Amino acid sequence: MRKHWTLRLLAVLFSIALLATACGDDDSSDDATPDDTTGTGGDSDDDDTGGDDDDTVDLVQDAGDTIQTIIDRGVLKCGVNGQLLGFSNVDADGNYTGLDVDYCRAVAAALLDDPDAVEYTDLTAETRFTALQSGDIDVLIRNGTWTSSRDGALGLQWAATTFYDGAGMLVNSDSGFGSVADMDGTIICVQTGTTTEINLEIYFDNLGISYEPLNVADEAAVTSNFSSGACDGYVTDKSGLASFKATYDGDVTILDDTMSKEPLGPATREGDDDFFDVVQWTVFATFNAEEFGIDSTNVQDFVDSDNGAIAKFLNDEESGLAFPTTDWAVRIIEAVGNYQEIYDRNIGPLGIPEGVNQLYTTGGILYGPPVN
Amino acid sequence: MAQDGQTPPGLYGGGGHMHTPIAADAPPRRGAGTGVRGVLRDNLFKDTKNSILTVLFGAVILFVLIKTFNYVFITARWEVIYNGPLEFYMVGKDFRRTGISYEMLWAGIYTAVLAMGIGTGLGYNEESPPMRLGARLAMIGGPLVGIVFILSMTRTITPTLLTAGAGGVLWVGGQLGRRMPPVVRRRSGWILLALTFLAFGLITNFTPSNIDEFGGLLLTIVVAFAGVSLSFPVGVIMALARRSTFPLIRPLAVGYIELIRGVPLISLLFMGQFAIRFLFPPDANIPGPIFRAIIMITLFSGAYVAEVVRGGLQSVPAGQIEAGKALGLSPFTITRQIVLPQALRNSIPALIGQFISLLKDVSLLVIIGLQELLGIVDVVLARPEFVNQGYVPEAYAFVGTIYWTLCFSMSRAAQRLETRLGVGTR
Repeated sequence: MRKHWTLRLLAVLFSIALLATACGDDDSSDDATPDDTTGTGGDSDDDDTGGDDDDTVDLVQDAGDTIQTIIDRGVLKCGVNGQLLGFSNVDADGNYTGLDVDYCRAVAAALLDDPDAVEYTDLTAETRFTALQSGDIDVLIRNGTWTSSRDGALGLQWAATTFYDGAGMLVNSDSGFGSVADMDGTIICVQTGTTTEINLEIYFDNLGISYEPLNVADEAAVTSNFSSGACDGYVTDKSGLASFKATYDGDVTILDDTMSKEPLGPATREGDDDFFDVVQWTVFATFNAEEFGIDSTNVQDFVDSDNGAIAKFLNDEESGLAFPTTDWAVRIIEAVGNYQEIYDRNIGPLGIPEGVNQLYTTGGILYGPPVN
Repeated sequence: MAQDGQTPPGLYGGGGHMHTPIAADAPPRRGAGTGVRGVLRDNLFKDTKNSILTVLFGAVILFVLIKTFNYVFITARWEVIYNGPLEFYMVGKDFRRTGISYEMLWAGIYTAVLAMGIGTGLGYNEESPPMRLGARLAMIGGPLVGIVFILSMTRTITPTLLTAGAGGVLWVGGQLGRRMPPVVRRRSGWILLALTFLAFGLITNFTPSNIDEFGGLLLTIVVAFAGVSLSFPVGVIMALARRSTFPLIRPLAVGYIELIRGVPLISLLFMGQFAIRFLFPPDANIPGPIFRAIIMITLFSGAYVAEVVRGGLQSVPAGQIEAGKALGLSPFTITRQIVLPQALRNSIPALIGQFISLLKDVSLLVIIGLQELLGIVDVVLARPEFVNQGYVPEAYAFVGTIYWTLCFSMSRAAQRLETRLGVGTR
């Protein structure tokens, strides 16, 4: 008798399991059907060219209507570094600060009218793009370099650059190295999973000298390797080197060589042009505000300006950009200020020379298209 | 630690009136010299070779001790722990955002400690051999040093008092568990479960999604605890399923175990965190990152627990099951009342090893951007006041001490449990 009872129970469990599997199959096939077709199409295309739109469709989560999702959710999901002073780090109160963080806040202000409505996700160099592709975050502002392969094969879309950087070399002042050309056969600390790794190899190759890379996971590891003499030089973006130099105990020098171009800016998923435009124009708004002389303290004085260009900028009724309101620029400027303010607040204290990171009117290359 | 070599015989024997006082593997006591000098001569300076080794290793140990002392008390710059960031190490950087008060958190901790105390009290039985003083010291002394070190980083007396209070609560729980009348004792599982849920509710302010703002030690413990308590039932069920003669159950269990064991935990966590989104529509409401991590750790650990328990199941002689059948018991009763208790008792050493390893596996969460105890170090070291100033050794030494305290306590508690249940002696 008892045995029968057990068997019956098992049979019931078994059929429930079968039912669940069957339902599961149904669900996934429903969802997967459109993707599958494009996926197969993409696969056959693989033979001739890599990197066209069809190829990337199955790589990236269907972007959907990101703006509506963000507004419904009431919070912007922003992927940041979280451990890079000046760009994004956490202060003693647990608040995020930095240049990247300010752009997260600016997008949140434009869409939600609340710069604090941001949920930050700390990402490593290895996980950042997957997090964006899979839709775990809405926008990636994590000192990422805009390159052709990341724009193409990875299925990302890069908005206007917020900081122009370049890889540099940091050495001990008493090492006697005057330029990278002197550093034949040295050991160089370099972070894994970055464009710097590749650029370093190309640069040394072009000079016809050799080096030995010592891969490190983060800046804390560099500090210990550098102070213990485990590496002769440290390669990363010059902004990173400057902040390292400013806080490091020993006497170090940044060599003059600039080993690569590193335009750092926000990235979004391919396929949601409206949201991409919002991020793009959020960055431009900070450039344009600086050009007009508008900052976070005086923006309200400009709202009724006689200057037609400024009036259009602060009350944009024509452009058709996907911002929910016409005063998006006002929201952005009130939240984070113009580019100069953002720079002075975050990068300035690190003592990094501005270089090209200023308006075209003062000798830089920042240029915001007109709102018209 | 020095008396470690001598404790096992004391632990396994020593005055129990049921068992023989000396376990089979106890080393015979040699050199019964008299007084301190006699003991020294017999054990350390027996002949020339012996004396040279003693002096050599004595010098090495002395050197290490002096260096350690020098580092801990003189050269180390502990301000990277106590001068502000201690809160980050303990509860993470986002804890304030939850609005959970520390009173609430401590109430939750006390509830959990009470449950642990009752649990240990329930395991007490009159027949188990009492612990020798040396064993007791070894059990309490190590973690105590760790706790004192951690508490020395606090700036007010409150955390110390609260921790001491937790010790009191543990004792009260133990007494409660011991004196529980049999009627209540039979339902003790439900009481412990209710207390655990109450503790979790208090810690998260009865809003489970708050857990996503946790970090530091709190996150490590919550994830490890959830992982241990969820992967245990999963493992037991899978182990039983793998021995099942039912045609479909067995391949399913084998498939699950072999699939999960063949994949590194990092890739599972990565899948659960990022890749899982590809399977859902973009606006789907899927659980928060920490719940996903707990699910993945549970699945991972469950597969290992299943194999450990299967080993235990195989150690139960077939005669036990046959005897149960002869008495006309149902297969369910045989498994529950005869096979499992023996199998689980035999699995304890390996299970504890698995759970200690799970606790340390939680540190892999740093890969997916969750800052548990180890990952929070990077966040602290990126703060303007500490960045690039070589605070790495201090921060990792502190975190390492916490890990060691946790793991050592687990290991000792397990040893105590083994003694009580008489593992290896019957």
